[in-house]
Amino acid sequence: MSSHEVAALSGSAEGIELPDWLRAQWPYRPRYARVNGYRMHYIDEGPGDPIVLLHGNPTWGYLYREFVAPLTAAGYRVIVPDMIGFGLSEKPSIEQAHTLDGHIANLTALLRSLDLKRITLVCHDWGGPTGLGFALSNIERMHSLVVMSTWAWPLPPSEFHMRMFPWRTMHAPLVGPYLLGRHAALVKRGLYLSVVDRERFRRQAQAAYEFVLPDAADRLLTWAWPRWIPIDNAARALSRFSWLEEQLKSCTLPTLLVWGREDDTFSAEIFPQRFKQLLPHAEGPYFVTGRHFLQEDSGPEIAARIVEFLDTHRLRAER
Amino acid sequence: MNVTVCAMDAVTLGDIRRVHVLREDRLAHYPEFRAFFVRTFALDDVALDRPGYLRGPSGSVYELIFLGRSGERFPSGLEIYALVDALEPMDETAVDQDLWQILRWMFAGVGGEWRVETLDETGRLYRIPAAVLV
Repeated sequence: MSSHEVAALSGSAEGIELPDWLRAQWPYRPRYARVNGYRMHYIDEGPGDPIVLLHGNPTWGYLYREFVAPLTAAGYRVIVPDMIGFGLSEKPSIEQAHTLDGHIANLTALLRSLDLKRITLVCHDWGGPTGLGFALSNIERMHSLVVMSTWAWPLPPSEFHMRMFPWRTMHAPLVGPYLLGRHAALVKRGLYLSVVDRERFRRQAQAAYEFVLPDAADRLLTWAWPRWIPIDNAARALSRFSWLEEQLKSCTLPTLLVWGREDDTFSAEIFPQRFKQLLPHAEGPYFVTGRHFLQEDSGPEIAARIVEFLDTHRLRAER
Repeated sequence: MNVTVCAMDAVTLGDIRRVHVLREDRLAHYPEFRAFFVRTFALDDVALDRPGYLRGPSGSVYELIFLGRSGERFPSGLEIYALVDALEPMDETAVDQDLWQILRWMFAGVGGEWRVETLDETGRLYRIPAAVLV
């Protein structure tokens, strides 16, 4: 398969086969693309202008399960990739396989192979730096941005990321592979702690996140990504984050900011305001019930807000 | 913690097999961790000549294989192997508890802002069974 050839294959042929209980929640046809040598899973539903929904650590496309139906019903084509290392995509087995630039290039390979134009990019967590990296280097393909619980600038991302407890300790050498690999700490307890309605999450969604990362080695990116968050001048991605910040200052794409009121990872008081300084024309911040994984608590509300935002801009463009 | 560094000749390797139990690709993500292992196992002198050995609280011995990567200071990574009876299943609970104690031993050795109490608190937050026992 060439680097830009896109294949639509059955889940059983190329990826993890979903059990019935999970397929009932995520019934979409699995598709695969070869990006930079890796097998990337994505879904592609409906006709219309494309909306690309980007997840972060340690989630997968399933995070957007309550977005797909309302967005396609509103007349949009919805594309949801699983980042290489997560979900139903290939999971490389060495940490050096993962770089911020590499993940931006993976997304770029997919979206160019689909030849998408007038893209609305919905970014969350590491879907922020990777998605914005694509958007700002492919501006001619873009229509608009929706930014949720993420960041796009160098030091320091947040006070939370500077703390020894629990952030720096949990991904320290050997501790990261032990806690987040052997014990799936981020997939299990970390996700659970980062939603508002924990009981509902445990009952309805927790198993879907654990299912796609069953073994310690599969969970490598759950401790590799935290190590890419710049907390000092030796950080590997410092120059890329500086570039993102500079590019955002001149970005005029219509933008919607959505944040969880209870977000204690990317604080609701600080982060949307920082984006607002970079993108003064941005609409919002629009606050919803939610911690870091706000899609779990307010999925339908956020999806409706995105439709409203896009419809407004479509009407403006037609005037 | 009861984790002890074993001298090479103190480890009697009988009819055993090595079971890979933990791998770290970026030992110098925080450089003080790499420095700790260099110091503890005299790696500036030993380099790749021989593995390091630790005995865990369960009495089991663990082999530490230090990894080199071109362009990075040695060691860039570390693999930990449990040495177990050749034909017997590994006691996974005991190994997991030993690994937790090895992490605590490592934090105590690295020192500075890396405190064993913070590691214990982190382990309890994520409900790691071995951390709850501490």
